[in-house]
Amino acid sequence: MNREALIQIVKQPVQWIEDRTGVIAFSTPLLSHHVPRSAKWWYVFGSATLMFFTIQIVTGVCLGTMYAPSASNAWESLRYIDEEIPLGWMLRALHGWSSSAMVVMMAIHMLQVFMHGSFKFPRELNWITGVFLLLTVLALAFTGQVMRWDQDAYWGLGIGAAIVDRVPVFGDQMRALMLGGPIIGGETLNRFFALHVFILPGAAIGLVGVHMALIMKNGISEMPKPGEIVVPSTYRKGFEERMEKSGVPFFPDAAQRDMVFCGVCLILLVFLAAYYGPFGPGGMPDPTLINTNPRPDYPFMWIFGAVSLLPPASETAIMLISPVVGIVILVAVPFLSNSGERAPSRRPGMMLLAVFVVMAIVALTWEGVTSPWSPVMDGWSALPTPTQFVKGRTPLQMQGAVVFQYAQCRNCHELGGFGGKRGPALDEIATRMSPDQIVRQVQQGGGNMPAFGKNLNSAQMTAIVGFLSTLRPENEADSSIPGAQLPLPIKSPLVVNSPFTGTGVPAEISAGVSSR
Amino acid sequence: MKLRMSRFLSCLSILAFLGCDRMPGKPQEATPIVIGSPAWTQSTFNTNCRGCHSQGAEGAAIPLIDAGYWKVATDAQVIQVLEQGQGVLMPSYLDSNGGPLSSDQIAAFVKGMRTLWGDGSSGGQGGISGTVVAGNASAGSQVFASACASCHAAGGSAGSVTDPMYLKLISNQGLWSAVVYGRAALGSPAWNQPMPKHPNGLTPTEVADVVCWIAQSRPMSSANAQVNSIPKDKNVSDSK
Ligand code: HEC
Ligand code: HEC
Ligand code: HEC
Repeated sequence: MNREALIQIVKQPVQWIEDRTGVIAFSTPLLSHHVPRSAKWWYVFGSATLMFFTIQIVTGVCLGTMYAPSASNAWESLRYIDEEIPLGWMLRALHGWSSSAMVVMMAIHMLQVFMHGSFKFPRELNWITGVFLLLTVLALAFTGQVMRWDQDAYWGLGIGAAIVDRVPVFGDQMRALMLGGPIIGGETLNRFFALHVFILPGAAIGLVGVHMALIMKNGISEMPKPGEIVVPSTYRKGFEERMEKSGVPFFPDAAQRDMVFCGVCLILLVFLAAYYGPFGPGGMPDPTLINTNPRPDYPFMWIFGAVSLLPPASETAIMLISPVVGIVILVAVPFLSNSGERAPSRRPGMMLLAVFVVMAIVALTWEGVTSPWSPVMDGWSALPTPTQFVKGRTPLQMQGAVVFQYAQCRNCHELGGFGGKRGPALDEIATRMSPDQIVRQVQQGGGNMPAFGKNLNSAQMTAIVGFLSTLRPENEADSSIPGAQLPLPIKSPLVVNSPFTGTGVPAEISAGVSSR
Repeated sequence: MKLRMSRFLSCLSILAFLGCDRMPGKPQEATPIVIGSPAWTQSTFNTNCRGCHSQGAEGAAIPLIDAGYWKVATDAQVIQVLEQGQGVLMPSYLDSNGGPLSSDQIAAFVKGMRTLWGDGSSGGQGGISGTVVAGNASAGSQVFASACASCHAAGGSAGSVTDPMYLKLISNQGLWSAVVYGRAALGSPAWNQPMPKHPNGLTPTEVADVVCWIAQSRPMSSANAQVNSIPKDKNVSDSK
């Protein structure tokens, strides 16, 4: 067979396809269109985000073939993927880490666009589709956390439901819509599964398409230079001329930088996945076995950090209104200023704003990670009253110690070094407060402490105040009694036998004991 | 040359693939915990009960890690407490009451606790039963004077047990258990054991009488009706 014939064999089907679809004619300009020569390493973040998104779709589809979206089997199916499927854990690790990486990369991309004023005319819609992409991706991250169907998922849903619950008038209906019923159960998982694998990815793919089409239409912006101002009436003409004259083809000039950067990101991703492994699943979402300190995934940590700092009176307003305000502001950015200077040095106010927002998010994330804002949910039923506070008490004071557990004070207050850290430790409270002051504090609450007024009857109040009034350092003498040591907080790896074997693990998570 | 290179590469990739299963990120295999096993029982107790009942003898509520308790109490009685709750401060753990355990799990849990902490008996021993029975208040006042007043009289070292506020928080069953099991670690005697002036401890009738007499001081109001009515059929103060 000669060379010509060989070429012909390859060429013919290609031509046949090109004739029917025009795919080459369509994609040639995509690759060869001119981009500004000045577009250097600053411009790689968008491509990296797209790469992570592609990884999410590929790994997500693979996981979809093995995941069992039912309340009784979901958690077990993740363990199955981790342990039985060769490298299944790697698949989950990649999906988890790539999701976080995508959120981070998106944030960096957005920050770069903001700082360079690239959202100005004619790229307003690029920015707005980007904002909606961000929201979709955050929603994907949240629903993805729910897919793990472990305690973190349960807890995240609980917080979400509590926020929705606060909506005036429609709170109950919205909660029912979100959870598929009054409580977190099998319906909830089905709902979030549909969101996570059909609705949200569909929306994201559509938005990515529009975002890309807009980039093709409007071109990639040049590096901003002080003094080169955007004037909507003349911008397009000038831009096209400059591209003709000094632009370089996207492929290979700009694309090679993208590829190098994406390659580095990919290597980092595989390293993170291989080294740190998949996210969760944490403990079974079984209220009998709550023994972890559930935390949201990183992209949401700052929100919960913020919630922990809020004065309680304003919580409802801030939690409901601030997301709406935030989204409106983000969408409005290109309309607030779509012309004029783009260079950071000529927009000092905007730069300060960007720095402020970044610092606020970092600080709130830190707060969310380190602050003891989350009460120890099972403190009341898991942490015993220290021996030195039980000895030598009257029967009424002893009942007060029980009420202290029963009313879940322990979830927020430490005794003997164990308990929640939301409120102050009460080991020596009798030296700081008189019984009357304690009654007032418990009845009226205040400063992040709920008011217990209606929830404690007179006997319970008398007993608890009687008990607290005995907490003073003189009793320290007793603490040397042998056997008075507390156990460390329990950290046993709690895994319940598979529901397949019919050991009766509740398939649905009821409101659970800790919410009573 | 080329061949060697590709051989090298394929060896490398096979090695990498095998190595993958030993990478640090690979999750540890979790050892399953069987419902009813000692580990499950202990951890269920640690998360759900230890806060009030403590891990030793000195908790705020009656200790359960105590062979003396399991000698007297029967499984049926403990299951009933876990399913129904007791008094105002001991919650029900049954799922249909909003608790975390199914009735099967409660049964397995009680069996597990007996295995862990009991002395091998199935309860119902020790002379005095674990469940409260009806008594006579005026006889009770004499039992109190002879057996309890030394510690519990007004101004006594152990504090009042007839304080109405106290009685609003504890059920008759709770009083009964306090007398029968005592709290050795806290200086409160167990009356199914010999005591100085009572070489045989108290008889079941005497315990019933003294509990009946103490319960009389409980103020009757709708708010604490449930304290009195649990367990319903064994209401001491109704029976005299
Ligand atoms: C949701 C968490 C939470 C719960 C539950 C809670 N507290 Fe507090 N408590 C707090 C916080 C936060 C403060 C600090 C209030 C302030 O800064 O004024 C506090 C303060 C107090 C103080 C004053 C301490 C001091 O040193 O000033 C007392 C006493 C107290 N709580 C008792 C109780 C009792 C009794 C209960 C149970 C009936 C209880 N708390 C339940 C969060 C809680
Ligand atoms: C040697 C002294 C002593 C004698 C005698 C004594 N007790 Fe006590 N009792 C105590 C002490 C100390 C406590 C405190 C520990 C506690 O609250 O559990 C106590 C606690 C109690 C409690 C409260 C238990 C709780 O957890 O709420 C009751 C009820 C009680 N005693 C009843 C009696 C009765 C009835 C008698 C007589 C049959 C009696 N006691 C005899 C020392 C005594
Ligand atoms: C909030 C504190 C609290 C928690 C948590 C708690 N209990 Fe109790 N429990 C009590 C109190 C108080 C009583 C006595 C109530 C009364 O009689 O008025 C009691 C009584 C009991 C009794 C009956 C004792 C008797 O024979 O009189 C049993 C059995 C018991 N609890 C088992 C458990 C078990 C098992 C758990 C964990 C699943 C548990 N409790 C968790 C406070 C608690």
